[in-house]
Amino acid sequence: MIRAKQVSKRVRVADAELSILKGSDLEIKSGESVAIIGPSGSGKSTLLGLLAGLDDVSDGDIWLCGEHLNALDEDQRAELRARHVGFVFQSFQLLPGLTALENVMMPLELRGDKKAASTAAEFLERVGLAHRLDHYPRQLSGGEQQRVALARAFAAKPSILFADEPTGNLDAATGTSINDLLFTMNRESGTTLVLVTHEPNLAKRCDRRITLAAGEIVGDDRINGTAD
Amino acid sequence: MQHLRWLMREWRGGELALLLVSLVLAVTIVSGIAGFADRLQRGIVGESNKFLAADLVLQSPREVPQDWLASAAQLDLETARVVEFRSMIAAQESMQLASVKAVSDQYPLKGMLRISDQPFTLSYETRAKPAVGEAWLDARLFPLLKVGIGDSVRLGDRQLLVSKALVSEPDRGSTFAGMGPRVLINTADVAASGVVRAGSLVDYRYLFAGEDASLTAFQNSLAGSLDASHQWQRLKDSQPQISQTLERAERFLLLAGSFGVALAGVAVALAARRYSQRHLDAVAVMKAFGATSGRILRLYVGNILLLAVGAAIAGWALGMALQSALFTLIQDLVGFRAPAASWAPIIAGSVTAFICVFAFALPPVLRLRDVAPLRVLRRDIGNEGLSVMVSAVSGIVGLSVLMLWYTQSLELVAAVLLGVVAILGLAGVLVLRVFSSIRRLASRVGGVTRLALSAMYRRRHANAFQVVSLALAMMVLLCLIAMRSSLLSDWQVQLPADTPNHFLINIAPDEVPAVKAWLDEHDVEFAGLYPMVRGRLVKIDGRELAEIPNVDENRGSVNREINLSWSENLPSDNGLVEGQWWAADETRNLVSIEQEFADRLKVSIGSKLEFLIGGLPLTAEVSSIRSLRWDSMRPNFYLLFAPGVLADYPSSSITSFYLEPGNKVILNELLTRIPTVTLIEMDAVIAQARSVIAQVSAALELVLLLILSAALLVGAANIQSSLDSRLHENAVLRTLGASRQVIARGLVAEFALIGAVSGLLASAGAELSLYLLQTLVLDMTASWHPLFWVLAPVSGAVLVALSGWWFCRAVVTTPPLYVLRQL
Ligand SMILES: Nc1ncnc2c1ncn2[C@@H]1O[C@H](COP(=O)(O)OP(=O)(O)OP(=O)(O)O)[C@@H](O)[C@H]1O
Ligand SMILES: [Mg+2]
Repeated sequence: MIRAKQVSKRVRVADAELSILKGSDLEIKSGESVAIIGPSGSGKSTLLGLLAGLDDVSDGDIWLCGEHLNALDEDQRAELRARHVGFVFQSFQLLPGLTALENVMMPLELRGDKKAASTAAEFLERVGLAHRLDHYPRQLSGGEQQRVALARAFAAKPSILFADEPTGNLDAATGTSINDLLFTMNRESGTTLVLVTHEPNLAKRCDRRITLAAGEIVGDDRINGTAD
Repeated sequence: MQHLRWLMREWRGGELALLLVSLVLAVTIVSGIAGFADRLQRGIVGESNKFLAADLVLQSPREVPQDWLASAAQLDLETARVVEFRSMIAAQESMQLASVKAVSDQYPLKGMLRISDQPFTLSYETRAKPAVGEAWLDARLFPLLKVGIGDSVRLGDRQLLVSKALVSEPDRGSTFAGMGPRVLINTADVAASGVVRAGSLVDYRYLFAGEDASLTAFQNSLAGSLDASHQWQRLKDSQPQISQTLERAERFLLLAGSFGVALAGVAVALAARRYSQRHLDAVAVMKAFGATSGRILRLYVGNILLLAVGAAIAGWALGMALQSALFTLIQDLVGFRAPAASWAPIIAGSVTAFICVFAFALPPVLRLRDVAPLRVLRRDIGNEGLSVMVSAVSGIVGLSVLMLWYTQSLELVAAVLLGVVAILGLAGVLVLRVFSSIRRLASRVGGVTRLALSAMYRRRHANAFQVVSLALAMMVLLCLIAMRSSLLSDWQVQLPADTPNHFLINIAPDEVPAVKAWLDEHDVEFAGLYPMVRGRLVKIDGRELAEIPNVDENRGSVNREINLSWSENLPSDNGLVEGQWWAADETRNLVSIEQEFADRLKVSIGSKLEFLIGGLPLTAEVSSIRSLRWDSMRPNFYLLFAPGVLADYPSSSITSFYLEPGNKVILNELLTRIPTVTLIEMDAVIAQARSVIAQVSAALELVLLLILSAALLVGAANIQSSLDSRLHENAVLRTLGASRQVIARGLVAEFALIGAVSGLLASAGAELSLYLLQTLVLDMTASWHPLFWVLAPVSGAVLVALSGWWFCRAVVTTPPLYVLRQL
């Protein structure tokens, strides 16, 4: 599903060049759920962005869903994402001008799905927000917003879902319920999951934990059978 | 289809309101002010053309060939004919020399006649004309001829029935040939009277009215056929004073309108900036979910274009409502009916909408295409904002196109743009300087204050943008205020309340004491009695006038008999430009010449001028050059001689005086006492000039008010557009423990600084623009405005701080968590 070979990322800061990610290799199989953990600033989000094709690598190669990302331009990568990729973000990132329903419809419409509205409504029902379809993000609590975001991520039936600290902005109780929902939906749809997190509990629920430190992969453990 | 759906969603979500409002504002201002200015101007010109009773007049000493008039008809011009001559008019008991005016049925093409049913009674306006066989007499003629309504008078061989008392015709003041009491008859009676024969002194006036272009085409078509004896009259020539007033007013209106457009453009730019700023995240998310750049571009550009169409329609409708409301408001003031609205504002409105979109709204929106999807993970990516330079350049280009198209005046646009560029240049240097020093300051203080100061520094680009747009709005206002007051005071100076409104000419030397006595008797203040000798200038320094190149003959006066006068003292409203005024006992043949006249003839001090007066030659030496005020309504002379030089030539005297409207009856006494003097009544003309000025002033005030509200809107949009980032940062500061007071003080200080800097820049820009406008566009003397430099920064600081505080109340009072969650 995902393959990364000697991937590194460097950025220019002021006059110096900063190496955020140093020659990492990685392979993630279809249906796997992977947690990326590590201290703050270790390069987790950077890695996630590269794997999802949101950014260009400085060195190395990445394949996503069988496509060689290096060979694709920005727009081709966008089309690839439209077909295969979903996201959940720490800060929810719902479009403020759209209702809950329209937010969930957005990725479906990008694919040209004719039944976007009914599919979106169905997924909002699955996250328990059937009665809030016409509410704007500003009218929803953080937990509710993240549930809309989950519906949006799964509605387009992506083959792979990237989540960057999906509960980082929520209190513990709400976070737990969002996590439950995330894993339930993930299991039901058989999506590949790449999850960046700080929380050991959350990481434990994944099939596999990749540990980053100072831009390098320092650990890769499989925890068979612990997920649920 | 998808665009429309998306647009509807965004509309419901409230994202489009500000942008739409600013676009609608732009279109409303243009179609409203442009339409208003256009109609007002056409209305005022139409009103002023009543002075000619037409839009265009062809004056000729002979009848003109019939086919000339046929070509006027082909061009869809209305025509009318006026024949003027002096003739004796006889009644049973007495006779009187009168100025007869025969008019055709179409007369007047512009304006109305004012008549009364009995002499010296209540008058009213009418479109009627004397029927064949009727005569309308000046009220004064009734006592002079000892006739009443229903009596008959004789003009040559023709008996005419006296049916009305004539008070005025619209074009009474347009020709000095109209001397003496007026008799108005029908052109059909001229031939029958037999008084007009070959060789009589007759003034034929052909009146035309119609479209400007047709009038010009008509004038051009006759260019080859006319000779020196024919003269065109258009408003410009016949009423230089009014035409200048109008011209300036028109320029001012255009200027105000284009300033309005500029302001609206700035509002659009601000709104579009905010719109795209607010959509950075949305676009990043959409891209993460697979939207391509092309798709984003189509979506947003489509949105904006749809928005422009909507704004054009809504703005046009509002603009129409606005201009008709304006007209209803000032209908009584201006005293004429508004001409119909034209299509121009619709076109102007739509063009404005699209230029505003392309120049002001599109650049920030286009940037959305390039938002990196990575922004979903790192919010700081692509947050640096659209460079001020790009906004500025595209804004200036758009502004120039709009203003050029709108004003059709390169000088005007150049003057304004130079001011704008000055502001931008200064802003670049000044604002960044100021905010850099703030950063240095920040490093010296501690705690929350430091955070606030460095936030200010971080916002320096946004602040620079804010300063520039506020400065532009203020500059526009300063320019308009300054120009308005200088225009108004200029006009007031032109026609003070006691401007002489009557001329007495043809006063024979032996009648001078009687006239003086009459003036003294009634306590009438007069401009002095000037003797007048008619003479012709023939040679300058021994050269025939005809041999001197570039003596512009069409301008009359040079090659004709001109009025020569003498005076012991320099007349009070003349100025000595060069040379010396003569002593009381001067014995040489000295003459003082008017400045422009001297320039035209290339005459300087010491030149010898040779005249023919009543067939006798006279040579005089130029001893001084004077300046005159032609609009002072006092007797003015190109050439003034030393006393004694002209003493032996036959002369008559001239004077002018001011008479209050209620006091006109005393004129009858004068004319009965001295029947041979000629009275020229200018009071109607002056009153008309005054009312034109009043109308124009009222219009200017209104337009100024409109622009003021546009500027206030820009200010509001401006402050609001900076709200989002402030909201966020201040919430962060408050979670970090900053007290409300600290935040409030920081906000007020930042806004006050922005306001003060804007005011300073605005003063500089306004000073530059005003200088250029006054010298290049309005033909006025430039003036400086030291007060601006104090008032603008101070009021800018106060106003911006206050309104900033008002808009940002929310930032300070809402719980920080609430704000953080929303963003
Ligand atoms: N475009 C960039 N420019 C400058 N520095 C960057 C850029 N992208 C990442 N970094 C730096 O690289 C390091 C890794 O960033 P990254 O966001 O991947 O960390 P992270 O592991 O996700 O941290 P956190 O747990 O705090 O989210 C950080 O120090 C960050 O500041
Ligand atoms: Mg991160």
